[in-house]
Amino acid sequence: MHTVLSVDAMDLLWMIATVLFLYSSLSFLWKAFDCRRNQNCYLFDYVCYKPSDDRKLSTELCSDVIKRNKRLSMPDYKFLLKVVVNSGISEETYGPRSIIEGREESPTLDDCDDEVDDCMYSTLDELFHRTGISPGDVDVLVVNISMFAPAPSLTSRIVNRYKMREDVKTFNLSGMGSSASPIAIDLVNNVFETRKRTLAVVITSESIAPNWYCGTDKSMMLGNCLFRSGGCSFMLTNDPSLKHRAKMRLKCLVRAHSGANDDAYSCAMQNEDTDGRVGFHLSKSLPKVAVRAFTENLQALAPKVLPVGELALYVIRGLRHRLRRSKETKAYAGTAVRVNFKSGVEHFCLHTGGAAVIDAVGSALGLNKYDVEPARMTLHRWGNTSASSLWYVLGYMEAKKRLRRKDRVLMLSFGAGFKCNSCLWEVLRDLEDGGAWEDCIQAYPPQSLVNPFMDKFGWVNEA
Amino acid sequence: MRAVPLPRFLSSVELAYLNVVNHLLAFPIIPVMVAVLLQVLELGPDELIAHWSSLGIDTIHALCTIFTVVVVATAYFMSRPRPVYLVDHACFRPPRTFRVPFATFFEHASLVPFFDEKSVRFQVRILESSGLGEETCLPLANRYIPPCPSMEAACAEARLVIFSAIDELIAKTDLKPRDVDILVVNCSLFSPTPSLSAMIVNKYKMRSNIMSFNLSGMGCSAGLISIDLARSLLQAHPNSYALVVSTEIITPNFYAGNERSMLLPNCLFRMGAAAVLLSNSRREEDRAKYRLLHVVRTHEGADDRAYRCVYEEEDGEGNSGINLSKEMMTVAGEALRANITAVGPLVLPVTEQLRFLASLVARRLLGARGGKPYIPDFKRAFDHLCIHAGGRAVIDELQRSLGLPAALVEASRMTLHRFGNTSSSSLWYELAYIEAKSRMRRGDRVWMIGFGSGFKCNSAVWRCLRAPKAPVDGPWSDCIHRYPVHVPEMVKLL
Repeated sequence: MHTVLSVDAMDLLWMIATVLFLYSSLSFLWKAFDCRRNQNCYLFDYVCYKPSDDRKLSTELCSDVIKRNKRLSMPDYKFLLKVVVNSGISEETYGPRSIIEGREESPTLDDCDDEVDDCMYSTLDELFHRTGISPGDVDVLVVNISMFAPAPSLTSRIVNRYKMREDVKTFNLSGMGSSASPIAIDLVNNVFETRKRTLAVVITSESIAPNWYCGTDKSMMLGNCLFRSGGCSFMLTNDPSLKHRAKMRLKCLVRAHSGANDDAYSCAMQNEDTDGRVGFHLSKSLPKVAVRAFTENLQALAPKVLPVGELALYVIRGLRHRLRRSKETKAYAGTAVRVNFKSGVEHFCLHTGGAAVIDAVGSALGLNKYDVEPARMTLHRWGNTSASSLWYVLGYMEAKKRLRRKDRVLMLSFGAGFKCNSCLWEVLRDLEDGGAWEDCIQAYPPQSLVNPFMDKFGWVNEA
Repeated sequence: MRAVPLPRFLSSVELAYLNVVNHLLAFPIIPVMVAVLLQVLELGPDELIAHWSSLGIDTIHALCTIFTVVVVATAYFMSRPRPVYLVDHACFRPPRTFRVPFATFFEHASLVPFFDEKSVRFQVRILESSGLGEETCLPLANRYIPPCPSMEAACAEARLVIFSAIDELIAKTDLKPRDVDILVVNCSLFSPTPSLSAMIVNKYKMRSNIMSFNLSGMGCSAGLISIDLARSLLQAHPNSYALVVSTEIITPNFYAGNERSMLLPNCLFRMGAAAVLLSNSRREEDRAKYRLLHVVRTHEGADDRAYRCVYEEEDGEGNSGINLSKEMMTVAGEALRANITAVGPLVLPVTEQLRFLASLVARRLLGARGGKPYIPDFKRAFDHLCIHAGGRAVIDELQRSLGLPAALVEASRMTLHRFGNTSSSSLWYELAYIEAKSRMRRGDRVWMIGFGSGFKCNSAVWRCLRAPKAPVDGPWSDCIHRYPVHVPEMVKLL
C-alpha cells in the first residue's frame, strides 16, 4: 500500500519537476532570443535645422564682417575673400546672429545660448511633433556640440525645457569635432545593447558665435570663412515594434582615430595664436592626414560593406597589380588598386568639409557627378555645418526621392583628432520627406555653382 | 506605444513585485526538487534501476535530454550580463609647489586688481568654514597676479594632471596603452578641440579603432556618468579594457568678478584627476580590486529650481563664472532622496525595503498623517561610503538626512580637507583614503554618490574582490599617518 502510494506521488513529483524545468528552460530561451531581437538600431526620423532668413550670410555680408577686423591687412582681406568666393558656398547659408549684428569679437554667454537654443529647440519641437513621441518617453539623450560646453550641460538644458524623466540617461559629448555624428550613433548603439525597447534622441550641431577668430593668423581664418550654422535632431530606437515607421536601419559603424600620430593630432586644433587669441588652426598637412585616416577607415569598412564577390575581385586585382609592378616598376609605381564601393553602397553621404574634400573623397571612391551631387549641393546651400552636414546630405537625397527600400547609404565624415568615421544604413521603406530642403529642392542642382559675386569680387582671383 | 512612465513610488512597488514574480519559479522548484531527492534516496539501488528501466528511456532520449540541458544552460550563462571589474585606479598627486594655504589664498585675492575688499573678506570667510585644509592645490596659472587663464595654460594643467594619473595607473596595472579598447574622459569646464580624449590617444599612441568619448559640461557627478557609459560599452564588447579619466581643469574657471554667489567655486575647487581601469575580461577576475554591481542615475533637470541651482552665467560686468544658488542644499537633498528610492530596491535587505515601501505607501495615501518618511538603514547595505566632497555643507546635510555615523563620512571629510573639491575625481580620492587606512575588506560593499550641475545625483555600488595590501601606494601615501584630523567649524584667519 505504502509502496503504491509513494510510487504515485513519485510520478506526480517527476511530472511537476519536468513541467517546471521545461517552463524555465523555455523562458531562458525566450530571453536569449528576445535579447537578439533588440540589437537593431533604427533611425526613426530626423529633422535638419533651418534658421530664419534674417540670418543669411551673403558674400557681401561676409566681406563687411571681414573688413570690420581692423587688424587685417589688404593681402589678408584678399585671401579671405578669395576663400569665400571659391568655396562653393552660395548666398543662402546662415550665420549666428551675434556675427551678423556686429558682435563677433565679444559674444556674450547669452548669444551662445541663444544660438544653440534656437537650433536645438526648433528641431526637437518638430521631431517630437512628427514622430508623435512625447519627451517623457525619451530614455537616452545625447548632444554633441564640439566647441561650446556650458554648465549645466546642453543635455540638462533640454531635460529642463522638455521636462524629461528623472531616469533619462544623458551624455554631453564635446570637443569631438566634425565627425561626431557617427560617434554619437556609436554611443547610442552600445547603450541599446544593454536595454530593450529604448528610445534615444541625438542632437548634433556646432557653435560658431563664441569661436569667431579675431586675429591675423591665416591658418585660423579659414574656419571663419567656411563654417556655417546648422544642426540636426534625430531619433533612434531598438524597439522592434517601431520598425514599420522607421526610415533606416544601422548595419555597421567604423571609427578610425589617427590621434596617435602627432601630425594627425595637431592638424586641426584649437589653440592660441602669437597674440594670445584663440582660433581653430587648420594646418597644411590636413589633406595628407585626412587621406591616411580615410584609408584606415576604408580598410576596416570594406569587408563589412562590400559583397564577397567584390572583395574576391579586389584580392585578385591586388595580386595581379603586385605581379605587374614587380616586373614593370615604372609604369605601375603610382597607381593603386581601386575597390568599387558602389557594388555595396547605393548612396554616399560625404562630409561637406569643402569642395576639395568632396572631390578628393569622391574620386578615391570612384564616384561620378551624380553620386557627389548631394554633398556638393549641401555645401552650396548650407555651407560646412560641421557634424550635422551628413544629415543635410541625407535630406537632399530624400527630397530628391532617391532613397528607395533596400538601398544602402554610407555616411562618411572627418574631424579633428584626427578621425574618420563612417556608418552604413539600410533604407527600410521608400522615403519622400522634403525636410529642410522642401522649399528649394526644385531649384537644385542649379545651372552653375559659380558665386554670383564673382563679377564684383572676381579680382581677388587675379592678383 | 510606450507606457506612460510610473511615478517614483509606484515604480518601487513594481520593482518589488517583479522581484517576487521573477523568483516565483524558485519558490516551488526548490521544495519539489528536495522532495524528489528525498524520495530517490529512500529507494534502494535495485529499485532505482527497476524504476529507470520502467521509464522506457533509451539512449536517444537520454542524449536529447542531456543536449537540451546543455543548450539551456549555455543560453542562460550567455544571456547574463558580463561582470565589470575595476582592475585598479590611480589619482593625481599634486606636487607641494602647487599648494595654496589660506594665507596664500588671502594674499593673492588681496593683490589681484578685480576683487573689492568685501569680496576678499567674503572669500576668506568661505574658506575658513569650508572644511578645506592648508594643503589643497591650485594650478600655476591661477597663482599669477593677475591670473593668466590662457588656453595653453589650461592644456598644460590638463596634461599634468591627466598624464600623471594615467602613468601611475599604467605602473600599477602593467597596462599597455595599445590594449585599451574604450576611453571615456569627463571634464566639465574645459573642452578643447580636439578633445582631451584625443590628447590622451596622442600621448599614449593608442589604437586607431579605439572607442573614445569625451563628456563635458556634466558637472561634479560626471565621473559616475563615465563609469555608466564604460559599463554599457563593456556589455557590448567582450574581453575589453576601458580607461575612464575624470578630472576638472581649474585654469580657465577663475572668476574675476565680485558677485558673491559666483565666488564660491574660487574658494572650493581644486586640482585633481583620477584614472580608472575597468575590464570585463575573465582574466582580470584574479587581480581586480572591485566589481561594479549597480549604477543608478537621477536627473532632476525637469524642475527649474534644480536646473538653476548650479549655473554658468555672466555677471553684470561680463565676467563668467558658476553661480551656486542658496537652494543647493535643499535641491541636493531632494535629488538624493530620488536616487536612493531607485538604489534602495537593488541593495537593501528585504526587511528594510518592505519598511521603506510601507512608509512610502502610507505617506502617499494618508499624506503627512502617514508618519515621517522612513529612512532605510543604509549601514546595513554598505560598509563604506564615498560622498562627493562638494563642500562641508553637502557632507553635513547628507550625514544628517541619511542618519550616518561620523565614521562613514570620514573619507569624504578628509578628502575635502586634504585635496579640496576636486569635482568628479573626488570619489576616487575618497576610495583611496579608505584603502590607505586598510579598512577595505574582501566582500565589502562601497556606495559612491556624486552630485552635480543639472541637477544630477548619481550612484555606483561596488563590491571589493581583493583588499589592497598595506602599505597602499596612492595620493595619501605621504600623509595618511596624520589622518583623520579634526576639522574645526571655523579656522580663523582674519
